[in-house]
Amino acid sequence: MRRLLLTLQHAVAVPTRNPRLAVVIGRLLALAFLVCFGTGLYSHFLQEPLPWMHFPTFPSNLYQFTQGIHITAGIACFPLILAKLYTVFPNLFETPPITGIGSLLARASIAVFVGASLVEITIGLLNTYQFYPWPFGFREVHFALSFVIIGSLAIHIGVKLPIIAKYWRKRDGYGPELAFDEEERAEINAPLVDALPAPLQKVPGARQVSGLTGRLFRWIDAAPAEGVVPLRAVDVAPDAPATPAVPADEPEPLGQSRTRASTSRRGFLVTVGVGVAAVVVLTAGQSFALLRPFNLFAPRVKGIGPQSVPINRTATAAQVTETATAPDWALTLSNGSRTLSFSRAELLAMPQTTVDLPIACVEGWSQMATWTGVRLKELVRQVDAGQSAALRITSLEKEGGYRVTQMGSEYVADNTTLVALTLNGETLDIDHGYPARMIAPGRPGVLQTKWLSKLEVLS
Amino acid sequence: MSGRELSGPGMSARTMRLTRTILIGVGVLGLVLGAVVLVSKQDLPAILGVAAWMLGAIILHDAILSPVVFLIGVVARHAGRRVSKVVLAIIQGGIVTGCLLMLLVVPEFYAKTLPIANDTVLPFDYAARLGFMWLGLAVLTAGVCVVYLRVAGRRNVAR
Ligand code: HEM
Repeated sequence: MRRLLLTLQHAVAVPTRNPRLAVVIGRLLALAFLVCFGTGLYSHFLQEPLPWMHFPTFPSNLYQFTQGIHITAGIACFPLILAKLYTVFPNLFETPPITGIGSLLARASIAVFVGASLVEITIGLLNTYQFYPWPFGFREVHFALSFVIIGSLAIHIGVKLPIIAKYWRKRDGYGPELAFDEEERAEINAPLVDALPAPLQKVPGARQVSGLTGRLFRWIDAAPAEGVVPLRAVDVAPDAPATPAVPADEPEPLGQSRTRASTSRRGFLVTVGVGVAAVVVLTAGQSFALLRPFNLFAPRVKGIGPQSVPINRTATAAQVTETATAPDWALTLSNGSRTLSFSRAELLAMPQTTVDLPIACVEGWSQMATWTGVRLKELVRQVDAGQSAALRITSLEKEGGYRVTQMGSEYVADNTTLVALTLNGETLDIDHGYPARMIAPGRPGVLQTKWLSKLEVLS
Repeated sequence: MSGRELSGPGMSARTMRLTRTILIGVGVLGLVLGAVVLVSKQDLPAILGVAAWMLGAIILHDAILSPVVFLIGVVARHAGRRVSKVVLAIIQGGIVTGCLLMLLVVPEFYAKTLPIANDTVLPFDYAARLGFMWLGLAVLTAGVCVVYLRVAGRRNVAR
């Protein structure tokens, strides 16, 4: 078993799989995870605030930004996590696999970390495609796993901190394990294997790849062009700056092997960079207007839909086509026993305000738009609500988690929060919430209630 | 574990030990919190579903994806005997980038075959775009190789 593990570990060891790269990629991944965690928590508490919470209403596109970042950083996690797993893959065959209760827990926490991370980013992505092929609730699980991920990430960093500290800075990096003696090697918790470049393996004394994979690699490397490099090349830091890249089809000069290793490391980093750039640039146009021309693959695109604004739930899906177009529709507004009601014509007859506010979906897409309607603040004043009034908002929707929602006083009091009646200069489309909808700064789209029915002031 | 040998550059053994303890403590708290949230918000079948998905993800990655990538690496290494290492790296980079995008986009065009909420959800022809992406990527990769070989060739002549 031990032999098998060692063989496997050697088999999968290539120059790109080393601690320094694991640290470099790990840093980026941890950053992306923390950004996702922070922006995700923000999104969570916007929807389920704790009693004492108040949120900024300025800048009005704050949520558009944070959730756009959440999804974009989340997508960037795909190349990063795959790269990270690639750099540490030999550790899977670490031997002996378990050395004690500490190592058991460390390995278990890594399994939890990897499993939870892969599930988190996968369900997150599929959720933005509105594709839900799992037997559990998305929001609840995505929320719970975020703590599992950050927790096991902290444990992982704690366990590996000596390695991380050692390889944090470049001068310590890139294969210095060649300089470690056996004892040092044993002290470093779970060292990653950096295979000797093939020519070096043939040098007496250099570590030999053994077993089936060793034979495989010998077969592969049995190219006539590859000469044997003297052992002293081992002593040279393989990280020499600006090593000229040498094509292999010329006779192999001294240092070819380290060029090869450094080419493959540099190639790896460039590939990760290109991968991240590709997935980000080709999708982030759904969230960031600047990147819209490059939006090839996002599940959403800006500027389409009725009145050039995309939608999630249609009037048909919400079963409001009749109630929303009923001639006797009225918006009821109550504060305790005081109740008023307004027809659409009455609302239109009140002073109108025009604002530019984005619709920013929890799924990360967003759309700037121009809205006209009655200031909510002025409306609630008519039922003598105070400055710190909060609201319960009810939609005409027959069902759905967001049929009844609450709005904090910071939004009610904001000058730009409207009961909107028109969108981009036209009567609100029924799919955008005709006869009247809420639009407030800095809130997720699910809370911008469409097809308004009832507003109640909460004391 | 004794701290002295383990301490990294610029960090004393005490700081190292303290930092590790805090990190691991915070981590355990996070795990517990996550478990509590999960158990309080989901029923048993759903929790088992989460466990199955996590296990499935690990298996998919460790037992299928990684060995396949490893085999591709072997093939590339074999092919690479005659090709310039840099050209090989460029081609590998192109393939990896394409596969990454494919990983994101394939579920997207599958999702589009299911009933969708409205026309503004998944508006593109993702399969066609994926095809064009591969074409574009192939052209781009070839271009980068050509430029590299030109530059490298010139450098060799100058030497
Ligand atoms: C490590 C990575 C991630 C972490 C830690 C994370 C964390 C979170 C958290 C804490 C929430 C709030 C959940 C709630 O409202 O209860 C959230 C929401 C969300 N996340 Fe993530 N996330 C990650 C990756 C992703 C990825 C990769 C995507 C998609 C590409 C994604 C898509 C979403 C979506 C769509 C929501 C909104 C859910 C809703 O309110 O309906 N997440 N995320």
